[in-house]
Amino acid sequence: MHKLFFTEFKWNYLFMNFLTCFEISILFSRAKIRLRYGLIVLFYELSGSMAREWTGIQLFPLATQTKLLELLGDLKTKERTSLTILVMGKGGVGKSSTINSILGERAVSVSAFQSDVPRPVMVSRSWSGFTLNIIDTPGIVEGGYVNDQALDLIKRFLLNKTIDVLLYVDRLDAYRVDNLDKQIVKAITESFGKEIWSKGMVVLTHAQLTPPDCLSYDDFFGKRSEALLKVVESGGRLKKSGIQGNTIPVVLVENSSRCNKNDSDEKVLPNGTAWIPNIVEVITKVATNESQSILVDQKLIDGPNANDRGKPFIPLILAFQYFFVVKQVQKWIKDDIAKAPKSSWE
Amino acid sequence: MRRQLYRLTEASSSSLPPVAVSMASQFIREWSGIQQFPPATQDKLLQLLGKLKEKKKDRLTILVMGKGGVGKSSTVNSIFGERAVTVSAFQSEALRPTMVSRERSGFTLNIIDTPGIVEGGYVNDQALEIIKRFLLNKTIDVLLYVDRLDAYRVDTLDGQIVKAITNTFGQEIWRRAIVVLTHSQLSPPDCLTYDDFLAKRSEALLKVVYNGARFTKQDIQSYSIPVGLVENSSRCNKNEKDEKILPNGTAWIPSIVETITEVSLTESKSILVDQKLIDGPNPNDRGKLFIPLILAFQYFFVVKPLQRSIKNDVQKEVKPLWA
Repeated sequence: MHKLFFTEFKWNYLFMNFLTCFEISILFSRAKIRLRYGLIVLFYELSGSMAREWTGIQLFPLATQTKLLELLGDLKTKERTSLTILVMGKGGVGKSSTINSILGERAVSVSAFQSDVPRPVMVSRSWSGFTLNIIDTPGIVEGGYVNDQALDLIKRFLLNKTIDVLLYVDRLDAYRVDNLDKQIVKAITESFGKEIWSKGMVVLTHAQLTPPDCLSYDDFFGKRSEALLKVVESGGRLKKSGIQGNTIPVVLVENSSRCNKNDSDEKVLPNGTAWIPNIVEVITKVATNESQSILVDQKLIDGPNANDRGKPFIPLILAFQYFFVVKQVQKWIKDDIAKAPKSSWE
Repeated sequence: MRRQLYRLTEASSSSLPPVAVSMASQFIREWSGIQQFPPATQDKLLQLLGKLKEKKKDRLTILVMGKGGVGKSSTVNSIFGERAVTVSAFQSEALRPTMVSRERSGFTLNIIDTPGIVEGGYVNDQALEIIKRFLLNKTIDVLLYVDRLDAYRVDTLDGQIVKAITNTFGQEIWRRAIVVLTHSQLSPPDCLTYDDFLAKRSEALLKVVYNGARFTKQDIQSYSIPVGLVENSSRCNKNEKDEKILPNGTAWIPSIVETITEVSLTESKSILVDQKLIDGPNPNDRGKLFIPLILAFQYFFVVKPLQRSIKNDVQKEVKPLWA
């Protein structure tokens, strides 16, 4: 008896073992990816909490350093000890180069001919109690289409992070604005909601350009920004929500080492502005404006639940169906049965 | 009726009926722009024209194609030395192709400027159609495929453009093609010299072109598509002889005209754009030769055995009593 019991038990035990092993192997192969990704995210978050020091700030010329420290001081008086900036745009426009220029070091790898970073990267630097996090993303346009896979990666990377400023990057020396730009703006709006544009700014790289003939630099800049802001407004459908397209600031950036310098040795644009303090100033303004920072939670990532749409109407529709359709049809059937002539063989 | 009148009065030769075009060709304007070039450039250009006339070519037709906003119209204006085609920094190009013809000492140069065939991520088939119809019965000697030197990515969109050109004109057009890179007066990104950057950019773009043109490895070895550099801005640097030069010292206007001359004198034939080319291969012709064979096969191996087996069945069947 004992033995029988034991044998049965053994078979059960082996069977369960087998099943669990099988299940575990399936879960594991799926979880392997999740696990790997989770580890990467964990690593990044940890590295965020152990933010390195913003040593690059000391490499800037003195005038730039002073202005930057002033701006950081401003932020701290408004009780902001950290700032998270999201950088997005097409591929090959200069997102990673801009980040490297702001941080003053080669924080993100840049290569002239290969595609951008395959996945989003967050770079954190701290200075005198203030932490700056900049998130570099892969270009979301791939050969004429918005790359949904890249967008998905970005969304999952940003889970539970708060975005204070969005940098939408494009080149100053592009002469056409087309449907592709509109699609990128739409993709960003659909992923993060329209509110992100109240924390958004447009960054135009390659700013040290000689404009085409018959146009002055300021004219060219004006037309280019106007065209791009129009696309942002139409792609994000901002008119209805009250966010004015023309209140989104546009800044110029020149990441090449051949950028002209002024007497204080600061990098300047052709119109004379020192652009590094300028962009950081606009970033602080946008970060401290009245709109709220965007918290990227699971709800935002999943998007509106299609099942919730029109939910309150369900009881009304059911009631309508019951009283006006079901009852009516039942009555007609009863009438028909009553009226039907009885056949002779019943 | 009004439409036809409007068409006749339109300036561009694209809409004139063929008779009127041949008449209009008598009124080809003179290439006056050539006199605006510095003497050194003028000499070289006249030399090249002379070379072409020696080889009995007294006309050259160049087709310029590429994405929008890369500098096609600007390049055409620079070669002619005058504002032959309208250029605007922010508006899209005109929707139809224009042909600009200039004549100089018996030699006629026709350059056909086309609208960008890429529109917001897609190849614009309508623009391609218009270009094809414009080119009916014209012969293309050289194709200029234009793109920017200062673009840092090559993607499937470029491949699609090249494929569209190949599907429209056939693979042979790439033996008469030059890849033209505009905005050549660029300061390359850090850590790369101008020549390195140029080499990498050409390599990446040529790879896409060879892929889209379906060049085999042997084709590439026997014939490589030349690359021409162009800088259309008036702020282009100049050398002592006042010629416009690139950062590597070459005077680019004579250089590109020389490349055009070389390509036009190669052995491969110029592409005549006839109705057959425009319509493309007729799918009804495919496998036409097999039809009689298939019919014969069906008759002997299918129909006859079936008939035979039906006859056999009819003979063998057992007649019932009441039949």
